[in-house]
Amino acid sequence: MEQETSSDDLNRIATAAGLPRLSDRQLAQLGKSLASARELAGKLPKDLHWSEELALTFRLPAAGEAP
Amino acid sequence: MNDVSELGIAEAAELVRGGKLSPLTLTAALLERIDRLDKRFHAFIRVTPEPALAAAREAERDIGAGNWRGPLHGIPFALKDIIDWAGLPTTAHSKLLIDNIASSDAHVSARLKAAGGIMLGKLATHEFAIGGPSFDLPWPPAINPWGGNHFPGGSSSGSGVALACGMVPAALGTDTGGSVRNPASMCSIVGMKPTYGRVSRRGVLPLAYSLDHVGPMTRTVRDNALLLQVIAGHDRADPGSAEVDIEDFSAELDGGVRGLSIGLVRHFYTEDMTADPEQSAALDRAAELLGELGAEVREIRLAPLEDYATCTRIIIRCEAFAIHRRWLAERADDYGELARQRILDGAAVSAADYIDALRLRARLTRQTLQAFAGIDVALTASNMDPACRIDDAEACARLYPRQARQPFNVTGQPALAMPAGFNRDGLPLSLQLIGHPFQEARVYRVAAAYERATDWSRRRPPDLAIRAG
Repeated sequence: MEQETSSDDLNRIATAAGLPRLSDRQLAQLGKSLASARELAGKLPKDLHWSEELALTFRLPAAGEAP
Repeated sequence: MNDVSELGIAEAAELVRGGKLSPLTLTAALLERIDRLDKRFHAFIRVTPEPALAAAREAERDIGAGNWRGPLHGIPFALKDIIDWAGLPTTAHSKLLIDNIASSDAHVSARLKAAGGIMLGKLATHEFAIGGPSFDLPWPPAINPWGGNHFPGGSSSGSGVALACGMVPAALGTDTGGSVRNPASMCSIVGMKPTYGRVSRRGVLPLAYSLDHVGPMTRTVRDNALLLQVIAGHDRADPGSAEVDIEDFSAELDGGVRGLSIGLVRHFYTEDMTADPEQSAALDRAAELLGELGAEVREIRLAPLEDYATCTRIIIRCEAFAIHRRWLAERADDYGELARQRILDGAAVSAADYIDALRLRARLTRQTLQAFAGIDVALTASNMDPACRIDDAEACARLYPRQARQPFNVTGQPALAMPAGFNRDGLPLSLQLIGHPFQEARVYRVAAAYERATDWSRRRPPDLAIRAG
């Protein structure tokens, strides 16, 4: 059974996320977001090895091109 | 000619070039059609008749003087309202940006302007391309002309509706999790999400940087290739823009499918999700038809749909929140309920989960491209279901995740949605074709062969009397 996040906790989470002025209704929306995020996190694969690195692509500036 | 609203880009361009159709006549006729129909369908947020007529007069003069610039010269189009057009507001269908006047053109807008296209106005979208369909915004949502009061798909909903209603022959949309292909599927038109990096996103409000694409929307495959030709190309001001050669996207249109290998991703709509029976049958019939036309069709397997969906949803949430968090902190009340909920979702995802979603993306991309070895194009579902009523919020919420478009936002491959028939209620069915990166011409080749062998693209919403103008 999913535990509901308390309103104090929702306020703390919202403030930490840079959203200190959410209304009660908006905090309730954030509560739904937390439940949904937990569900999504549970669907991420458990076998991602540390060697599976991000596919970051850097493009070095060509000669004469501003970086 | 009785009704110019029926004309696509290619047909209209030939007439305009040959002096048989005046851009001014075409533009005026479409403006009149918008004026008559848009009270009902809400495709447009803003129509711009005076500048459109002025541009049409200029195009007419230029073409008359022998300076025809190409197939878009003198041809009307419209833009999803997250794409900048200098001097007009880019609202994203949101109260937040109601006074946001664009100071310059988006790259794609500048391309269309240089090609001599005639801009008719800005089109409805889901709020910030994420929150819709919604009834708590400054403008109503667009309504699908197929069906009584149905959802047209989104977020490029106005683009799909304007095309299906014959208000424009060309429109641009954007696609982060399927937003060009969803309205294309529900409105029975053609929508292409090109390869990631193929079309610049400069001057387009972002939803999620690493998944955002701008794409052409038209009524036919040939028109789609023509429109992509105008907007594709490297742009150093877009960090995601690819520095690759631009092929002739129309080059293979008449090539047929004989000798091509088509991979059918059937498990997406029969195992991972169970599509509506009529939609599923339409896809199987499309595979059979391509086989009858000479293609070698065989089933291929990709990762389960849910893996791609998890990956996409986490990335969109986080990137969208990063873009919106300052507005959300200061003006949370100015968002509609749906957009606020979906953007707030990003505040709840941990950094570790976001990084893992990115690592999953790399894995899925590698696996998907491996599965494409030996095939030219893949065929699968776009939507699992036909459109639902737009006033049924629960049905709309249920419908949205029942789709197979997100995998190709994850991998960045080109993916096109097009008509594949109609169900017993007359609502559009659709299919999706996917190619190798930067091989849009091959996707168009298969799409054009299927389009020629069917008449779906020639059908129009029954009560619009499109031919009567």
